[in-house]
Amino acid sequence: MSTRKTSLLEPHVLLGAADREALQRRSIKKHDTAVILLHWFNASIWAVELATGGALLAGPGYQIAPGWWRTFMISLFGSPAMVLKVHITAGVLWTAVLAVYGVFGFRKYLMPTVSDYLIPDMDDLVWLKNRTLLMLGKRVSLPPQGIYNAGQKLYGLAVYGGTAVIIVTGLVMAFHLAPSWVVRWAILLHFLAVGAIFSGLFVHVYMGAVLPEERPAFYSMFTGKVPELYAYRHHYKWWRRYKEIELDWRQDLEREAAAERRQSEEEI
Amino acid sequence: MTTYGMVIDLNRCVGCQACVAACKVQWGAPEAESRDWVVPIGPVRDSQGLVSTFYVGLCMHCDRPACVEACPSKATFKREDGVVVVDTELCIGCGVCISACPYGARYFHEQRKKVDKCDLCSSRLARGEQPACVETCITSCRHFGDLEDPKSDASLHLPGSRRLESGDARLGPNVRYLAGDRQWRLIHDRFAPPAPELSTPAWLLSRVARPLILLAIGATFLGQAVAFFTQLRRGEHPIEE
Repeated sequence: MSTRKTSLLEPHVLLGAADREALQRRSIKKHDTAVILLHWFNASIWAVELATGGALLAGPGYQIAPGWWRTFMISLFGSPAMVLKVHITAGVLWTAVLAVYGVFGFRKYLMPTVSDYLIPDMDDLVWLKNRTLLMLGKRVSLPPQGIYNAGQKLYGLAVYGGTAVIIVTGLVMAFHLAPSWVVRWAILLHFLAVGAIFSGLFVHVYMGAVLPEERPAFYSMFTGKVPELYAYRHHYKWWRRYKEIELDWRQDLEREAAAERRQSEEEI
Repeated sequence: MTTYGMVIDLNRCVGCQACVAACKVQWGAPEAESRDWVVPIGPVRDSQGLVSTFYVGLCMHCDRPACVEACPSKATFKREDGVVVVDTELCIGCGVCISACPYGARYFHEQRKKVDKCDLCSSRLARGEQPACVETCITSCRHFGDLEDPKSDASLHLPGSRRLESGDARLGPNVRYLAGDRQWRLIHDRFAPPAPELSTPAWLLSRVARPLILLAIGATFLGQAVAFFTQLRRGEHPIEE
């Protein structure tokens, strides 16, 4: 155990039963409360916007949801105009909350997420190649990943970019902030951004909530924590960085404790 | 079943524009725009001498309206009584319907940021009144009513009336004209409707983006469904780690 303990910091180490059990028992923090709240707020808004948006895009050549869905939404809210009002109200609320997050969480959440977590590196390119080979039945190993794997990073970037497009085009359409020809292009871009994110949403929900290997990630969206074993196996680079931070934190604690001890000894 | 329509007797029109003024006052159209119009044509010389007429236009309330086809949100639609209307609370003023209408019967209301058009004075109809243009016409050249009712004023003037259509646009307009052949030729030569035009972003949305996104959604859904059934077949390990 003691020899393997140090070698855990090397990737792709085969873990013994004792290591696995020890890692499984320990949890490490993956998400702050603000991120968890924002995630579920985001999910709720998306549910409302998809439901109402699907009912609004109802012209003969544009329809994306079945006709009965529009009828259901109109029955629920009273009229097509009310469906639009709900869509706009939820969208404005979403924009306002994201703006607060973007302004107050810019340094703590937004920038680190984009620069540290979402920009792909060389390992990500290898991961994408090998993941494809794995799906084709080849026997290859996946390189270690950060807090998000390459697939999550690509989807994350699409979500960040798409969200900006959805907000800008949504505001242009809702409040007619530009000439009609711009509003026409806004409809197209709004639809494309929503469609791109929505088509990836199936993968996101399946991987997050249904696939057993990734289930700790789903639970982490409630508790904020994942078992260390999961972090070690799926997000080795992040786990290693976390351990370094934890080590620094421990050393700080020990230094503080030593300083307090010295101070109390001097007082005595 | 009701189909409201109008027959305009161009032989009686004197081009006084009273109908246009009445409509603008009734509906608060901006100075440069109007829900209806009267355009003098001629006089020009043809084989029989000088000829002139007026092109009296408004929304044709077509049987197969191109504007309804073009509107992304069904903000413009054809009512059961045949009147094509705009739900102004639903309209976002994208103007796709404006370029789709081959008669130029729609405009963008700059102050309201909505599309505006003739709705045959629906609020007046609801009160049992005639459209403002019909009531104002000093020569009674506009005949309005239910085209399904043989006794209506419009139906009584249907015989010999013509629809302003072309090979590019056969939309079944429910505003018809009574005019002599020479006058009709003048109108048809200048104002025969072109093919309805779908603006580029609307075309891209309906013909490219929509099928692409549906395909992408279908493909990811199918992929996840296959993965889920594979998971069901394999089962899960009793100890979760």
